[in-house]
Amino acid sequence: MNAPTTGTTDLNLVQAVNQALRDELARDPAVRVMGYDIGPIGGVFRATEGLYDAFGGERVIDTPLSENGLIGAAVGMAMRGERPVVEIQFLGFLYNAFGQFVCLMSNVRERSGGQFSVPMTIRTPFGGGIKPLQFHSESTESYLIHTPGVRVVCPSTPAEAKGLLAASIRCDDPVVFLEHSRLYRAFREPVPDAPYVLPLDQARVVREGRDVTVLAWGAMVHTARQAIDEMAVDAELIDLRVLAPLDVKTILDSVRRTGRCVIVHEARRTLGLGAELSALVNEHVFDCLKAPVRRVTAFDVQFPENQTEDFYLPDIRRVRHGIESVLQYKF
Amino acid sequence: MGQHKWAEQAPDEDFFRILTPDGSLVGDAPDLDDATLLGMYRALVLTRAYETHTIRMQRRGELSVTAQSMYEEAVGLGAAAALREGDWCFPSYRQFAAHLYWGVPMDRTLAVLRGGAPETIAEHLPLEKPPGVTFTPYGVILGTNVLNAAGSAMADKLNGRDTVTLAFTGEGSTSEGDFHDALNFAAVFKAPLVVVVHNNQWAISTPAHRQHAAPTFAHKALAHGLPGERVDGNDVLAMYQKTREAVDRARAGGGPTLIEAVTYRVVDHNTSDSAEVYRDQALAEHWKQFDPRPRFEAYLSARGLFSEALREQYEADCLTEVQAAAARALALPRSDPMTMFDSQLQGDPGWHLRLQQRELAAELSGVNPFTSIDPETLA
Repeated sequence: MNAPTTGTTDLNLVQAVNQALRDELARDPAVRVMGYDIGPIGGVFRATEGLYDAFGGERVIDTPLSENGLIGAAVGMAMRGERPVVEIQFLGFLYNAFGQFVCLMSNVRERSGGQFSVPMTIRTPFGGGIKPLQFHSESTESYLIHTPGVRVVCPSTPAEAKGLLAASIRCDDPVVFLEHSRLYRAFREPVPDAPYVLPLDQARVVREGRDVTVLAWGAMVHTARQAIDEMAVDAELIDLRVLAPLDVKTILDSVRRTGRCVIVHEARRTLGLGAELSALVNEHVFDCLKAPVRRVTAFDVQFPENQTEDFYLPDIRRVRHGIESVLQYKF
Repeated sequence: MGQHKWAEQAPDEDFFRILTPDGSLVGDAPDLDDATLLGMYRALVLTRAYETHTIRMQRRGELSVTAQSMYEEAVGLGAAAALREGDWCFPSYRQFAAHLYWGVPMDRTLAVLRGGAPETIAEHLPLEKPPGVTFTPYGVILGTNVLNAAGSAMADKLNGRDTVTLAFTGEGSTSEGDFHDALNFAAVFKAPLVVVVHNNQWAISTPAHRQHAAPTFAHKALAHGLPGERVDGNDVLAMYQKTREAVDRARAGGGPTLIEAVTYRVVDHNTSDSAEVYRDQALAEHWKQFDPRPRFEAYLSARGLFSEALREQYEADCLTEVQAAAARALALPRSDPMTMFDSQLQGDPGWHLRLQQRELAAELSGVNPFTSIDPETLA
């Protein structure tokens, strides 16, 4: 990453998001942070804390409670040269805005032959583990990825979040930026103080290895890492970072070397991103495979109630079982 | 054909009107100079010539589905004439008069209806002069465009610009959530937005009384806290006057306005529709007497601006213009299939699209894409 080496502060992920928003608001007057409960209260997760005081109500805009209204209005603003950064309180609330997301936000540029662009970013918490109510724990990134014309970004650490969010806001395409709610306050790491951007077209190799490639994003990067460490297996762990468009080359190069691939995601299995990743491996590096591709995922049911969600989400044990299954496989 | 036809309720004539159907004044005419009035009249004649021609072209297989605004042109024309250079419009698919008044080129519109890719159209039909008002691609899912228009107006408000955004939608799409989001956001932020509900009483086959139970569509403004006006949509001067008042108020910081334009869809919904299946066509015939054109002509005549000779001249000129535009649209080369990959993500479209572009290119040159492309060469 092209981060400056001078000056870092230990931040958690939500603080890193806040810092990126603050930097971008200061850098570009076209950036406007929008959402409900984002002004004086600073967001339900406090991602926008202090921004209203620093930049005022015309840069940090509390809106009526309507996801569809937010996305549709932001599309119109973006068509007029603004750079809206919309907070959707939870990914499960974005469904109300699906029409504007599919038909306008990700479609206006193509439909107008490039006459109009929509340089906006949707930030939204996603994922399970914090045990709130229904529709607060969704990992339905497949709905987003299936839509052409939009980038989908998902950081896994505070330093990653800061650079990827800055890059997303500066990007002239519509971007959905998925922030795993369980990671918001899970840990701190040194984050460079100065603004920086990370590339939106490169996966990150978290750990190099020779025996199996493990693909993950968001909180599952950490679950996979813990499973690998416990097993003392020589696994290569790749954090996808950007879910659309995918950095396929990094993935295929890795599986070509290891001959095995395990995909770990919180999303339901059927048509989760793992299905596409598995298909890519099978289509393009079939002759290197020593075992079938394994998907370690949640189940094809609704996100369950708090008391049972731990059995729904992939945990260290399920990841270990997945890795063991490909390492033990015999043709 | 089904036996059942919807019972129909004629709309209340409790609306703002300047010209009666016979062309006499029942209110103060707006302060429009002769050149502007003649420009509006010419746009009306041009719209009718254009739409008549598009039906012919569609029947000949030269165009895809087209919609018409015949007998309803005063809605788009009167409203659009109230804008000024630099304003924005998010139209529906039934405002050709608004497009033509502001000089949106017909050859490009026809090329779109021929299914040409926008990149091909821009390349072969360069704009000599961009229209004074920026028109976005028209909303096909109506209602969505009104919400984007609210965002456009919010951008102007936040930047302290005195630009106004005009949006058109139908009475049917007032049932969509987007419409209410738009009014709510625009009202809360006092955005300079004017929304015209083009109430032609039919959303394809659904009559207005099945859309809602409110007394009028203008009532929707009440709940959202903005002014609502109900206007005779077949009276071009009334449409101009009420839109102009709304535009001036918006420009001065007074916030949004909703205008219900009451008219009737005399023609089919579009070229794929047969209205006789679901409604009594006698009422459509009845509404032809409210044609906005003769009453506008009567007004122009009273001002000494109109003659039969002028109409004949305009009609002849407009027909020539339409035919020339159609010829240019028909002469356009078919879009290169590879253009489907244009205007996607900016910069590198990513590995998937790079591969898929090469696959289509291989297919186009008669080569098996699955055996001829080595994905390892996709850096």
